[in-house]
Amino acid sequence: MRIADLNETQLDALREVSNIGMGHAATALSQMLGKTVNLRVPQVLVTDISKVPELLGGAEKMVVGIYLQILGSARGNILMIFPRENAIRILEKLLSRENSRGGLLSELEVSALKEVGNILASAYLNALGTMLKMTLIPSVPVLSFDMAGAVVDYVLVDLAEVGDQSLMVETEFFEDDEQVKGHFFLLPDTPSLQIILEAIGVLHG
Amino acid sequence: MSCMGEVTIIGLSEYGLAAAPGVLLTYGLGSCIGIALYDPELRRGSLAHTLLPTAHDVAAIAVKTAKFTDLAIDIMVEELVKSGCAKGRLVAKLAGGASMFDTEYRSFRGNIGQRNVDSARKSLAGHGIPLLAEDTGGDYGRTVEFHASSGLMIIKSIQKPNKTI
Repeated sequence: MRIADLNETQLDALREVSNIGMGHAATALSQMLGKTVNLRVPQVLVTDISKVPELLGGAEKMVVGIYLQILGSARGNILMIFPRENAIRILEKLLSRENSRGGLLSELEVSALKEVGNILASAYLNALGTMLKMTLIPSVPVLSFDMAGAVVDYVLVDLAEVGDQSLMVETEFFEDDEQVKGHFFLLPDTPSLQIILEAIGVLHG
Repeated sequence: MSCMGEVTIIGLSEYGLAAAPGVLLTYGLGSCIGIALYDPELRRGSLAHTLLPTAHDVAAIAVKTAKFTDLAIDIMVEELVKSGCAKGRLVAKLAGGASMFDTEYRSFRGNIGQRNVDSARKSLAGHGIPLLAEDTGGDYGRTVEFHASSGLMIIKSIQKPNKTI
């Protein structure tokens, strides 16, 4: 299966699957923050690997990246990207106190953000797994607060080993006043993409 | 930078060439590395931003690409020689190869950043190109400017002062 060969039905199916997964994740985040969290329509981004940093707002943009591996019946990566200001807002809401003002994140802040990542990914994968009748488990989350280009390159390694194109299912979520927003990326590896499409019943168009 | 020449941005898995006073710039190296090759006599050089250590692990490669550290060095040497540089005069500098995520993950892919650095060193040694300086490892991203007028590499990071090698 080549990423470039995916047809419209398959792309639609991936968008829909991600929408359901993200719906659960947004509910979990809403409960955590006590605010409504909305979703934009998911996009399936098929792009050259070298262009991925641009999709994240530019290679030099400061972001918090939370990364988890998907373990179980299908493998892949989940990457959540929060622009720096938004990560700080989430922390203000969660920790109800003065936060770091632009320097490094404290250990408590890192831990709180990882927990946010863990909850989002677990809700997402749980919904996805139920729908696809497979077991999908998130690994322990890890976090990096740095330039987007530096945060993402590690995640691209799996994809780069098999081709020059990346497939990312991206969903943007935001609170009504846009104080909290972020991007959730599902990056299935190529064999898993096939497994997922087969489970949805659209592997052969 | 008062008298900086034209700046060319090098994206992920790309490389570029420049002659003095040109500048090659690449943003946000994490586990990727920035490899600069330079001919000090001609004041001409090349910078690559590579993602994977070696093409040898990969069964089929359609085109030679700067995605791979070892292939990128081969390509840059070839291009620099084609543009008039003497292979025997080339020198190298490296930056990047960090482990962006926590320690427990470093073993996950055998520390991809370190493997990139090792692959670059090995490949440079194979070409007989001296490695003059490097700023590698750590857990932070780097933006690299390579100046063809001086052969200097300026490394910028978020939490650290700029460094010149």
